[in-house]
Amino acid sequence: MKIGLPKALLYYYYAPLWKAFFDELNVKYIESSDTTSKTLLLGKEKSIDEACLALKIYLGHIRELKDKCDYILVPRIFSLKKTEQVCTNFNCIYDLVRNTFKDIKILNYNIDVKRHYTEKNAFIKIGKELGFSIIESRNAYKKAKEIEKTYYLQEEKKAKVALKTNKTKILLLGHPYILKDNLIGKSIINYLEKNNISIIYSCQIPRDLIEFNCSKISTKIHFTMNKEEVAAFNYFKDKVDGTIILTAFPCGPDSLANEMIIRKRKKHPTLLLTFEDLTNNTAVITRLESFLDMLKGGIHL
Amino acid sequence: MEASLGIDIGSISTKGVILDNDNNILASTYLWTEGNPIKAVKKVLKDLERQIDKDVKVTSVGTTGSARKLIGTMLGATSIKNEITAHAIGTLSKYPNIKTILEIGGQDSKIILLDNGIVTDYAMNTLCAAGTGSFLSSQAKRLGLNVEDFGKIALTSKNPTNIAARCTVFAESDLVHKIQMGYKRNDIIAGLCYSVASNYLNNVGKGKKIEGPIIFQGGVSKNIGVKKAFEDLLHEDIIVDENGHLMGAIGSAILARKTGIKKEFNFKVKDANFETSGIECKGCPNHCEIIVVKKDDKILDSWGNRCDKGALKVKEQ
Repeated sequence: MKIGLPKALLYYYYAPLWKAFFDELNVKYIESSDTTSKTLLLGKEKSIDEACLALKIYLGHIRELKDKCDYILVPRIFSLKKTEQVCTNFNCIYDLVRNTFKDIKILNYNIDVKRHYTEKNAFIKIGKELGFSIIESRNAYKKAKEIEKTYYLQEEKKAKVALKTNKTKILLLGHPYILKDNLIGKSIINYLEKNNISIIYSCQIPRDLIEFNCSKISTKIHFTMNKEEVAAFNYFKDKVDGTIILTAFPCGPDSLANEMIIRKRKKHPTLLLTFEDLTNNTAVITRLESFLDMLKGGIHL
Repeated sequence: MEASLGIDIGSISTKGVILDNDNNILASTYLWTEGNPIKAVKKVLKDLERQIDKDVKVTSVGTTGSARKLIGTMLGATSIKNEITAHAIGTLSKYPNIKTILEIGGQDSKIILLDNGIVTDYAMNTLCAAGTGSFLSSQAKRLGLNVEDFGKIALTSKNPTNIAARCTVFAESDLVHKIQMGYKRNDIIAGLCYSVASNYLNNVGKGKKIEGPIIFQGGVSKNIGVKKAFEDLLHEDIIVDENGHLMGAIGSAILARKTGIKKEFNFKVKDANFETSGIECKGCPNHCEIIVVKKDDKILDSWGNRCDKGALKVKEQ
C-alpha cells in the first residue's frame, strides 16, 4: 500500500508530521514532484476560474499522483482553534477533490476543533482506515509530533543564522505553500540569492511567539494561518532591511492581512507581489530590482 | 567631448537622449515603439546621430524601460536598470528637492516618494493596466479623436461626467452608456481624465503620503486634462516638465556614466542586422521560453531559462 502526498498547500505546513507518522507505522508514501508549468496547466484544466493559483497547482499535483498510489492524503481542516477559522480552501478541499476526481481513493482526516475533532483523533482515524489499532496510531502520532517540533526548532535556528550575516536581509512573507513552491516562490528566492541577499521566511518565527507578536499588530485577526505572517512581520521587522510579501491571486485571507501589514508598517520598506498566472516574470523582476535598489537609501544622485 | 547615451524603451514610446558630463541635453528624440523595439531604437540612434556634432564621443550607454534587456544587449550597454531607479535619478538631476513623482506611462503607472533626494518608497500598478496611457488612447479611438487633443478638449468642460474608474472594462461600458444618454463630449472627456487620476490615486497612490513639490511625468503628463484633475484632487500645484517624457532616458544616461566604465559607442550598430527568436526548451516539464538575440547571425545573448539546461539548449542551436 502506498500513500500519495501532493506537494502543495497543506503539505508545506504538515509534511514533517505526515511523513514521520507514516514512517512510524511503516507505511510507504510517495510525494509528487516539484511544481512545474505543466502541473499548473493540469490543475487549471480541472479548476474553476475562482480558484486561487495555489489551489490550481494543488489539483495539478493530485492529477500527477492519481495513478501512482493507492490513497491520496487530502485533509479537511475546518478550524484549528476555537475562535479562529482557516481559509475556505482548506474547508472544502476534500469535497472538491472527491467531486473533481471520481476514481481516486482519498485518505481523509477531519480537523474541526470547534466541534471537538482534534488533530490526534484525526490521526487515529487515519490509522484505523489503514488497519492499525488505536494504541499504535496514538504512539505514532506522539512520536511524529516530537519530530515536527524539532523541525520547527531547526527552522528557527536557520532564521537566526540568516539574521547574523552582514548581507542585506529580507523577510519573505507569505504562506509557505507560496514561498516554497517551485514555480512561484522559487523564482523570487533564486533572484534574491543571486543578488547576495540573506532571506528570512515568515514561517521561521518561533511557534510560541505567534500569539503575542500578532496581538501587537492586531488582536482581531481570525485566520489562523495569517496570524503566523502578521506575527512574523512584527517579530522580524526591526531585524531586517525590508519585507517582500508574496501572495497568490485571489487570496481572501491575504487581502485582509496584507493590507493590515502595509498600513501598520510605518517606514519599513515593503513590497507586495501578487502572482496570477505566470507566463513571464519580467514585471516581477522589475519590481524586485527596484526594491533592492531602494533598500538602505540606495537611489540618490 | 565625452557624452553618455540613455535610452528608455517603453511599451508605447521610445525615448533617447545624449548628455554631456554636466547633464546638459545635447540631443533628444521621442518616437513610437510600434511593437518593434529594435526598429524603434535604430530610428532613435539615427535621429540622435544627426543632432550631435562630430567631436562628441559617446562613452557610456544606459537603457531602461520594459525592453531594457533586449536593447541593452543590442547596444552593449554598461547600465541596464529598472524604470524606478532611472526615473528617480533623472528627475533628481533637474529637481533635487522633489518629494513625489507621479508617473503614468503606456502600460504601467508608478509613484515614487523621496526624502532629501533619497527614494524612500515607491509603488507600481499590480495586475492590470487600468487607468494608464493605453486606456486613454483606446478610448480616444472609440470617440474618433486624437489622444493628443484630449487635454485641450477636457479643459473646456465645466461639469465633468462621472465615469467608473475601477476597471478599464467597466469604464468603457460606462462611457458607452454615457455617450448614448447624450452627455456632452467634452464633459465625457474631462470625466475620463478625472477617472484616470482618481484610479491612479486609489490604486497606486493608496496609503501613500503625497507631499509637494510634486512632479507629473510619463506620456500621460502631456495631457493637461489629467494634470488639472490631479491638481483638483490633491489640492497642490503640479510640475510638468517640458522634458518630462525624457526623465527615464536622462536617468539611465546618468546611471551609465556613474558606473565609471568607459567604452566607446559606435553609431554603426544601427546598420547591423539584429534578430530575436524564441525557443522552447523541452529539458523538463517547465518548458521555459528562451529568447535568443542574434547580431549578424552570431548569438549575442539569451535569457528566460530557469536552469542551466536551457543554456545548453541555446548552444546546440
